[in-house]
Amino acid sequence: MKNASATAGALTRRKLAALLVSSTALAQAPVSADPLQAAKDRIKANGDALAKEQVPMATEPAFQFKA
Amino acid sequence: MAELGPEIFFATIVQLNAKIAAKEISAEELVRAFANRLQQLGPRYNALALPLPEQAIRAAKAVDQDIKRGRLRGPLQGIPYGVKDLLSFAGQITTWGAKPYAAQVFDYNATVIDKLASVGAVLTGKLSMVELAGGGGYRLPSASLFGPGLNPWDQTRWSGGSSSGSATAVAAGLAPFALGSETSGSILTPASYCGVTGLRPTYGLVSRHGAMALSWTLDKIGPFAHTAEDCGIVLQTIAGSDSKDPGSAGKSFYYSPQYARPMKDLKIGYAPIDFTDRADASARPAFAAALAALKETGVQLIETKLPQFPYGPILSTILNAEQASIFEPLIVSGQVNELADPAQIAGLKASLEVAAKDYLKAMRLRRLIKEAYATLFAEVDALVTTGRNGPATPINQPLDAVPAAPGGFNGIIQAGNLAGLPALAFPCGFAEKLPVALQVVGPPWSENVLLAIGRAFQSGTDWHKRHP
Repeated sequence: MKNASATAGALTRRKLAALLVSSTALAQAPVSADPLQAAKDRIKANGDALAKEQVPMATEPAFQFKA
Repeated sequence: MAELGPEIFFATIVQLNAKIAAKEISAEELVRAFANRLQQLGPRYNALALPLPEQAIRAAKAVDQDIKRGRLRGPLQGIPYGVKDLLSFAGQITTWGAKPYAAQVFDYNATVIDKLASVGAVLTGKLSMVELAGGGGYRLPSASLFGPGLNPWDQTRWSGGSSSGSATAVAAGLAPFALGSETSGSILTPASYCGVTGLRPTYGLVSRHGAMALSWTLDKIGPFAHTAEDCGIVLQTIAGSDSKDPGSAGKSFYYSPQYARPMKDLKIGYAPIDFTDRADASARPAFAAALAALKETGVQLIETKLPQFPYGPILSTILNAEQASIFEPLIVSGQVNELADPAQIAGLKASLEVAAKDYLKAMRLRRLIKEAYATLFAEVDALVTTGRNGPATPINQPLDAVPAAPGGFNGIIQAGNLAGLPALAFPCGFAEKLPVALQVVGPPWSENVLLAIGRAFQSGTDWHKRHP
């Protein structure tokens, strides 16, 4: 309890924010010790994040092709 | 030969041009001085990729002949410069900062190099960069064929990436200006860390012909210089339509400070938290003073919120999909394993797995982002935030060691690149004896507005005049 209290006292808002972001990221993309698996996990997490976004059906991709 | 004092190496393009015009110094003298300095000091910061002294001196002699005959070509005539080593220069090695391409030679010049040659600017060398501009997601500053970019202000700190050598060259007085590129932060970050002015142009304004492609829909080329004014002068030359670049917007840029709107007419959106809680503690006093100095220019600062999108996943998905197509031969051949950074290698390999539906979803979201920013810029003329949250990070610190704090304008670098928006970073103070910067971001084609804001800030401060 004492240690926890001391830790909380030393925690700045910035550190807390960083921890929260880290926690969120960890929840979305489990970190693997293998760099390749970690990279694949990030790509999967990106896809998962995109899947949550609603896009109107009529919205076309934002690239241009000039014939 | 004219006596060249050390301050000449930190003079602006405008000042150097005045000396050449007044015949105080010849182009050859100036180019020799900068070429020598680049060769001597460039390696100290791991900033030099390839010195080009012989070609430069030949070109400078031709410039002097032109001047002698009255063929005047504007403010860049006789001015030395360097380019990021992702731009091809015919017959010379172009490494893209990566071992697999260490012997690569093209037989043509990048369009921007030809454009600069046409006005008499003299290329003195190619400058280091993060390997393959870092698209694979490098984890350490050492992710480069040339070693980690060392900050001229403190060599235990990083110079930023991926245009590491370009920002360093200007900061250390190795070149009056340099070209770099940005896909997501590669101009703004090194400009901020090195204390120089860096301009990311609107997507499509500057030709990428002859530049390494990392992401066709995100890549931009832009200048680093000592001042906003110098960036405007360089942009005017390198901008313009190019049939060799499919992404070219077919637009020109005319640097026109004489038509700048009064500062008091400009509304600039900002998030106060960017300058306080989201900033490194050591940098907060500098950012507070910078915000006050910006207010003194007369602009109206208005609290603003960014449109909410998952900018990181959107940008990463697009970048990964496009680089996977571009670098598939490198990845499949196994040569990717020659890269310096394990995270970069893994990121490139994994990028082959991006699903087509995710790429298309990201590009559809990108259209919504563009629309959301068009709406935002109906309310404000520009946005301002910090260049980075604090000063340059230690050279051995992993880049993911401290995640960006949420809130405020977090994600503006990704958002700005996704929407193709121009941005200007310029030094605004010091923290831990290192420079920190502001960045201003505007709607497409608003470079003259951003340069006017930078110029107004720099006319009331002297941070851009400091040098290591």
